[in-house]
Amino acid sequence: MSPLKRTGLATALAAGLAVAGAAHADIKVGFIGALATDTGQSTLRGAQIAIDELNEAGGVLGGQKIVLVTADTGQDVTEGIKAYEYLAETEEVDFIISGCIDDVSLGWLPRMVEYQIPTLDTWTSNIGIIDKLVEDYESYKPYFMNVAADEALATLYVDFGKDILAGKMGWKKTVIVQEDTAFGNAINGLVTQLLAPEAGIEVLDTIVYDVATVDFSPIFNRAVDSGADFIYLISSVNSQVISSQYVKLQVPLAMTGVNVAALGQEYWEDTGGAGGGISTLSPVPSVGFALDPVSKAFAEKYVARYGNERPKFPHFNGFNAYHGIKQAFAAAEVAGGFNNTSWVTAMENQDVVLMKDGEVWLRYGFWKPGEIEERTQRTYPHNIHFDISPPYDDGAPSMVVIQWYEDGTNAVVYPEKYATGEFKVPSWVPSK
Amino acid sequence: MTSTINWRHLLLWAVFLGGLALMPQFVTRGTLRTFIFANYLAIFAMSWDVLSGRTGYVSFGHPFLIGIGAYTSAILSYRFHVPVGWSIPIAVATTMIGGTLFFLPALRIRGSYFALVTLAFMELMYQLVQVIRPDLTGGTRGISGVQTLLRGAVNNYYLSLGLMGVIAILLWSMMRTRLGTALSAIGMNEEAVEGSGLNTTKLKLFAFMVGAAVAGIGGAFYVHYLGSIAPRALFDVNFLFTIIVAALLGGASTIIGPMLGAFFLTFLLEYLRPLLPGAERYFIYGLIALLLYMYEPRGLYELFHRGRARIFGGRA
Repeated sequence: MSPLKRTGLATALAAGLAVAGAAHADIKVGFIGALATDTGQSTLRGAQIAIDELNEAGGVLGGQKIVLVTADTGQDVTEGIKAYEYLAETEEVDFIISGCIDDVSLGWLPRMVEYQIPTLDTWTSNIGIIDKLVEDYESYKPYFMNVAADEALATLYVDFGKDILAGKMGWKKTVIVQEDTAFGNAINGLVTQLLAPEAGIEVLDTIVYDVATVDFSPIFNRAVDSGADFIYLISSVNSQVISSQYVKLQVPLAMTGVNVAALGQEYWEDTGGAGGGISTLSPVPSVGFALDPVSKAFAEKYVARYGNERPKFPHFNGFNAYHGIKQAFAAAEVAGGFNNTSWVTAMENQDVVLMKDGEVWLRYGFWKPGEIEERTQRTYPHNIHFDISPPYDDGAPSMVVIQWYEDGTNAVVYPEKYATGEFKVPSWVPSK
Repeated sequence: MTSTINWRHLLLWAVFLGGLALMPQFVTRGTLRTFIFANYLAIFAMSWDVLSGRTGYVSFGHPFLIGIGAYTSAILSYRFHVPVGWSIPIAVATTMIGGTLFFLPALRIRGSYFALVTLAFMELMYQLVQVIRPDLTGGTRGISGVQTLLRGAVNNYYLSLGLMGVIAILLWSMMRTRLGTALSAIGMNEEAVEGSGLNTTKLKLFAFMVGAAVAGIGGAFYVHYLGSIAPRALFDVNFLFTIIVAALLGGASTIIGPMLGAFFLTFLLEYLRPLLPGAERYFIYGLIALLLYMYEPRGLYELFHRGRARIFGGRA
C-alpha cells in the first residue's frame, strides 16, 4: 500500500471514529479549558460530578440525559478559538463551561457572541469581559462568570495590605518579585496602582524574573538589599520553585502575594515539604477554607473519585463548575432550555445561598445589569454576586488570604470571618 | 528556465479551487471552520516559502510580519474606528515597510545567523506589544471584539478560500517567470547567481517584500476572522513551527506544497481531537509529521507526484 493510501486510510478511519464518538446526546455540555492543568481538570471534574448527579436524579428537561464533551485549549489562544468552534459547530453543544485563563477566554469571546451559546467561565476574573457586558449587553448576555472580577479582587489586596501587612505587622515598604508572564504584569499593575496609595505601603523595587529561573539567590539578595519589610511575590507558572528556595535559603523577609501553586493541595508535595510560611491571595473556596455542607459533600465526592490523581482536591474553580452547572440547568428548567433569551433571564435570577452555622457563607448569584455595587460604585453584569465589605453577609467574599505553615498545614488567615488560622511570619525571619 | 502557462495549468487550478468551492455543499459547518484555519495557514506557509523555501534564507521571524499586519489592522479598526476597507491596506503597507526596516540588515547575513536574528525579531515584538502603549495593543491580554468582516462558517470559508486562491495563483504565476527561477537559484547556489551578474540582494529583498505583503494580507484578514488578538497567539514559537512544518511537510519551493501541508496538519489535529482530547494529539501530530518528513523530505507534493506517476505513468 502506498504512503498516500495509508495516510488516506488513516484519515478516513480517524474521521469515522470521530463521527462514531460523537453519539447523539439529549443535552450536550461542552467543557473548554486546558486538560493538562490542575485548574482545567478542576473545572472539568466539578462539571462532571454535577452532571452525574443530575443524570442520576432522573435527568433534566423532562428526563433527558446530559453528556459532557471536552475541547482542549492547551492554554493557547488560537487553540481556544478552535476549541470553541468545535464545541459549537461540530458537537453542537447546548451550554459551555470554561476553565480558561484570561487571554484564552478573551480569544474565544467573539465566537460566543457569534454563536450565542450560554457560557459560564469558572477561572478567569478578567474585568475586561464584564466591561463588554456593560458596553454591549445584548451581544454578550449569554456570558456568565462565577469568579469575582479583578476590580473586586483588588479590594481584598488593599484590605489585607491595610489591615494586616501595614496595620498589624507595621510593614510600610515592599519589593515586588514578579514572574515575567501576562498574569504577572497584570497583577503587578494592580498592586502598584493600589497598594501604595490605599494601604500606605510603598513599592521600593520590582524584580522581574524569567519563568525558567532555577537559582533565586541573587533575586532574594536584591530583595533583601532593597530595604523592604516584605516581599510581594506574583507567580503563576513555577511558583513551587521560588517558594521552596525561599524556605531553603531562609530568606530573612516575609513573603506574601499571589502564588498560584499554593492554591492547590499538591503545593506541599510540589515543594518537597519546603513551602511553609508562604501566604497567598486565593479565590474561594480555597485550601484551608471551611466549607458549607453542600460544598463539603461535593469535595468528599471529588476526593472519593479523583483522590489518587492530580489535583487531589478541587481548586476554587472546581467548586464553581459544580455549583455553576447546577445553576445553569436550574435556569434551563425555568426557561425550558438553553435559548439565549429566557435562559439568560432565568440564570440572572439564580441565587444559591450556602449557609454555614446559621450565616451566609458562600453565594452563587449574579449581578444584574444596571445593579450597582456600593463600594466600587460600578456595575458587574453577570459576574458572581460577591460581597467586598465586612461583614460579608450579602454574598461570597471576592478572595481570602491563605497561608501554608511550616508543618505543612494550611489555613485561611484573612478576612476574619473566614479565618481558620493566624497570619504568621516564618520562624527564620527576624522580628522588626 | 521558465515554464509557460498553458490551458492545462489553468484547468487544474480551476478544478482544485472549484472543488474546494463546492465543499460547503458536502461538509458540516464544523469541518468548514477547520478549512478556514487551513486556508489561513496555507497563506502563511506560502508567504514563508516565498523567502525561505525559495532562497534558502530560513526565517524564524515570520510571525513578526503576520503580527504587524494583524495588530495594525486591529488597532486601527478597534481603537480608532478606521473602516476595515482602509485598515487592511494600511496594515499590509505597514507590514512591508516595518518588516523591511527590520529585516533588510539581516538579509546580509546567512544560514543559522539569519534564522537567529529573525527569531530575535519575533521575540522582540512579543515583548514590545506588551509594554509599548498597552492602551493600544491591549498589553498581555490583547484585544477582544475586533470587528469581524463576515459572520458564519460558509461566508468566512469563501473569503479565506478566495484569498488563498488569489494569492496562490499570483505567486504561482510569479514563480514561473525568470524572477522565480532566479529566486530558486539563490537557494541552490547564491554565489553562482551573483557570478552570473544578478544582484542577489535586490532579488532577496524582492522575495522578502512579496512574502511580507502576503503575510500582511494574511495577518490582517486573519485577525478580522478571529475577532481577537493576543501576543501569545501570534508571537509564539508553536505558531512559527506550524507555519514552517506546513511548508516543509507539504513541499517547500512549491505553491501547492505549503497548501497541502497546511490542510494535512490542520485536519490531522482536528480529527484527532475527539479521539485524543488532551495534549496526546500533539504528540501523534508531531510523530506523524516527523515520520512523513523522514520518509519524504520533499514533502507531500512529491508523494502526490509519485502517486500520479504510478497511476498514469511518466516521470516520478
